[in-house]
Amino acid sequence: MKMKINVDLRLKDVPGQLVSALDPISSCGGNIRGVVHHHDVKDGGRIAVNVTFEASSDPVFHRILDEWEKRDVEVAKINSFIETYPIRYLLVGDISSAEMESVTRGLESIENVVSIDVRYTGAATSSSHTALITGTVSSQDTLKTLDDFFYERTQKKNYLLVRGLEL
Amino acid sequence: MKVLIAGFGTVGQGIAEVIGTRQSLFDAMGEKVSIVGAFDSSSLIYGDNLDPKYLVEKKKTTGKVGDKEIPDDVASYIEEADFDILLDTTPTNIDHAEPGLTYILSALHSGKHVITSNKGPLALKFSTLSAAADANGVQLKYEASVGGAMPIINLSKQLLAGENIISLRGILNGTCNFILNRMKEEGLPFYQALREAQDLGYAETDPTYDIDGVDSAAKVAILANAIFGMDVNYYDVVRSGIRNITEDAIALAAEENSVIRLIGEIGGGKLEVAPRLVPMGHPLSIGGTQNMANIITDLAGEITVSGRGAGKNETASAMLSDLISIIRNKE
Ligand SMILES: NC(=O)c1ccc[n+]([C@@H]2O[C@H](COP(=O)([O-])OP(=O)(O)OC[C@H]3O[C@@H](n4cnc5c(N)ncnc54)[C@H](OP(=O)(O)O)[C@@H]3O)[C@@H](O)[C@H]2O)c1
Repeated sequence: MKMKINVDLRLKDVPGQLVSALDPISSCGGNIRGVVHHHDVKDGGRIAVNVTFEASSDPVFHRILDEWEKRDVEVAKINSFIETYPIRYLLVGDISSAEMESVTRGLESIENVVSIDVRYTGAATSSSHTALITGTVSSQDTLKTLDDFFYERTQKKNYLLVRGLEL
Repeated sequence: MKVLIAGFGTVGQGIAEVIGTRQSLFDAMGEKVSIVGAFDSSSLIYGDNLDPKYLVEKKKTTGKVGDKEIPDDVASYIEEADFDILLDTTPTNIDHAEPGLTYILSALHSGKHVITSNKGPLALKFSTLSAAADANGVQLKYEASVGGAMPIINLSKQLLAGENIISLRGILNGTCNFILNRMKEEGLPFYQALREAQDLGYAETDPTYDIDGVDSAAKVAILANAIFGMDVNYYDVVRSGIRNITEDAIALAAEENSVIRLIGEIGGGKLEVAPRLVPMGHPLSIGGTQNMANIITDLAGEITVSGRGAGKNETASAMLSDLISIIRNKE
């Protein structure tokens, strides 16, 4: 699970504070994506800095917070969001509604699947149906798990799989 | 340099004509390039400096390029004949790679360079052919075998020589792209779009190689060997084609602001040809019959090349670039 975190920090107005605030992010394995240094915004004599970074897990983020506390870096505001990855699969062929239900149940039981939307079309008179499955997952490994899930399923049930081309 | 042309159909005639029209270019390079022989499935002609116009005219009017019968043992003929480069333009066969495989090996073993547009031998026996070229100190060139005029192989091997190529995704078959695009634009069912492609001369009467992804998979195998340094063949490529794509599937994809394209992919341990949902606006969402390849390298990042994947002049252009490269290497 990858988290993207945006924090408003307040640093003491003495040289070397910015480096001292950013250092725990890299040393704990975080990945700095952006820093905005507001020299002109003073809050209680401190300088405002906005930092965006990625952390691989909640414990990593908490280690960074602990380190900031030790270094007297004040944290004024935290916004964090889990990074999600889109999924898109199109299934074409003789897919019954029972099979679709079973596919949906299978997907719901896979870890880190955040959301799923299923669209299912096809005339009652024709054996060919199409299902479009879209959604998001919160881990890159799950993308591979889903590819394998659909690959096995389409091989076994003999319908065509069209996977999304991730950007 | 003396060249022998094997196969005298669309591509064979195209390269013969280009050799005729590019004589001043060869002169400027201080090299004389002459056609000293050509053969098709039944006839053979040889001579000191054959006129390409005469050969093409003869093939068009009589159905045969030569006035002699093709020898029983073509392999021995290739080994013994006096020439420097074999231009192999014989048909692709993905089951056994013949006759191209035997012709190419005979030429390499007898110390002749080879330029081929034929995918079969490369997709099935790449390492054998490369080893034969190395062992005999000659060059094996095959730009035309993948993507016609799209310069993917020489681009990757020469201009991007210092890069690590991480992955490649491409539209490697113009016929499938044309069919999928017509289904989307006109709402045509698959078989109608296929018939249109056949009427326009894009698809063969037997379109299996195109629509079942065989042609694309052969190209994936060639690229995996040529630019990723893998030792794989056609059968290592996981393949599915487009014949089961329905109008409903195309319409549902459109609702998602996407198109369906047959994509060849190498990377992440995967060798695959499959229909994929491609977001509109992505380089690989193009319509028409163009081929396109999108490669990711460690230093340069993303590079996309495109070009006409088939056609007489387009394929001849790729073979000409190989011919020039052999002449330059000789200097
Ligand atoms: N056309 C393109 O745009 C294109 C693009 C890229 C790559 N290629 C590849 O280039 C190659 C040639 O394509 P093409 O379109 O020129 O095919 P083509 O028009 O069918 O020509 C094939 C030629 O090979 C000859 N041939 C067949 N069996 C032979 C044998 N046993 N010995 C000697 N010659 C033999 C044929 O003789 P006859 O004339 O007597 O039948 C014909 O002249 C194929 O491998 C193809 O996959 C083609």
